[in-house]
Amino acid sequence: MYDLVTGPFAWVAFGTFVIGMIVKLVSLIILARKKDKVVFDHLDLGWSIRSIFYWLIPFGSRGMRQKPVFTIISFAFHVCLLTTPIFLLSHNILWDEKWHITWWTVSERTADYMTLILIGSAMFLVIRRIVSPEVRIVTTAYDYILIAIATAPFITGYLAYHQWFDYKTILIIHIISGEVMLIAIPFTKLSHMVIFFLSRSHIGSEFGQRRGSKTW
Amino acid sequence: MRKERIILYVAITILISVFALMHVYAQEDVFVVEDSAFKDNRQRPPALFPHDEHNEKARIEECSVCHHVYQDGKRLPEESSEGQECSECHKLKRQDNVRPLMKAYHDMCRGCHQKRKVEAKKLGPVTCGECHPRKTEIAKGLMED
Repeated sequence: MYDLVTGPFAWVAFGTFVIGMIVKLVSLIILARKKDKVVFDHLDLGWSIRSIFYWLIPFGSRGMRQKPVFTIISFAFHVCLLTTPIFLLSHNILWDEKWHITWWTVSERTADYMTLILIGSAMFLVIRRIVSPEVRIVTTAYDYILIAIATAPFITGYLAYHQWFDYKTILIIHIISGEVMLIAIPFTKLSHMVIFFLSRSHIGSEFGQRRGSKTW
Repeated sequence: MRKERIILYVAITILISVFALMHVYAQEDVFVVEDSAFKDNRQRPPALFPHDEHNEKARIEECSVCHHVYQDGKRLPEESSEGQECSECHKLKRQDNVRPLMKAYHDMCRGCHQKRKVEAKKLGPVTCGECHPRKTEIAKGLMED
């Protein structure tokens, strides 16, 4: 089973993620050309980059400054989500053994804390959707499923690292949950990890280049 | 007493003495893969490794299969390095293009287990936690200091 999930399943997951994201990007750009050709007249690199930049740094945009607690937790969530699996020692060892690629790693203890921060902030995001009326009204089951898909690899990873319950079963569930997340990205809102740059570039240019107003 | 009987008794006595002597001179069995270089830089509990039992199961007879010696990038087939710590050549960080210590261990253990798996022989563990279990007394003791 371990061979299956780390072999063919992993290929399918990474393949779907990469090809799916490329198809998604290209089809969105083609769609924009068809439906909203004018957008391309206003695209401006300077305004795009500024808009993207201010939305990538903590408290860079006005909305973030208005909701400091949410901003801090949201950033903690996203930073841990992206960096923990990439700089995890055990993942790096697998990359190294299969492809002879290595890069920086964080210590196992640091990764452990980062995982806890991620799980904690995910819980905050769930509670926020339940208790905050303006968020609840736009929340459907789909949103909870997405948070679950994104958080499952970390919960199972934490269990596997600490070897709680049956180690091999948890490890296999962990790998599968990571693959489910990768596959889900192109087909769901999780694709904002790439689409974010398109929409910020669009809005930044639209308001900046045309009206000279900041969108952050 | 018949002559054959005496020969048999002598043979048995010699055999028992040899086994007894072998036991005295045999090195103490090793149960974990330990290297002093990891002491202040331990990420996981050391790999469990019942040396003698492992080699019996894996049918490894030559020490140099694992305790190898390399010179100028070439393996010296006649030489072996038991009694030496792996970290004498394999440093924590890659040096002089000698693979770093952790990678050397992983390649040696996991690499062989993977290879044998492909060859469909009986296989040893390949996942992290199977070699680095946390629940053993050895693991607990080492991770605490």
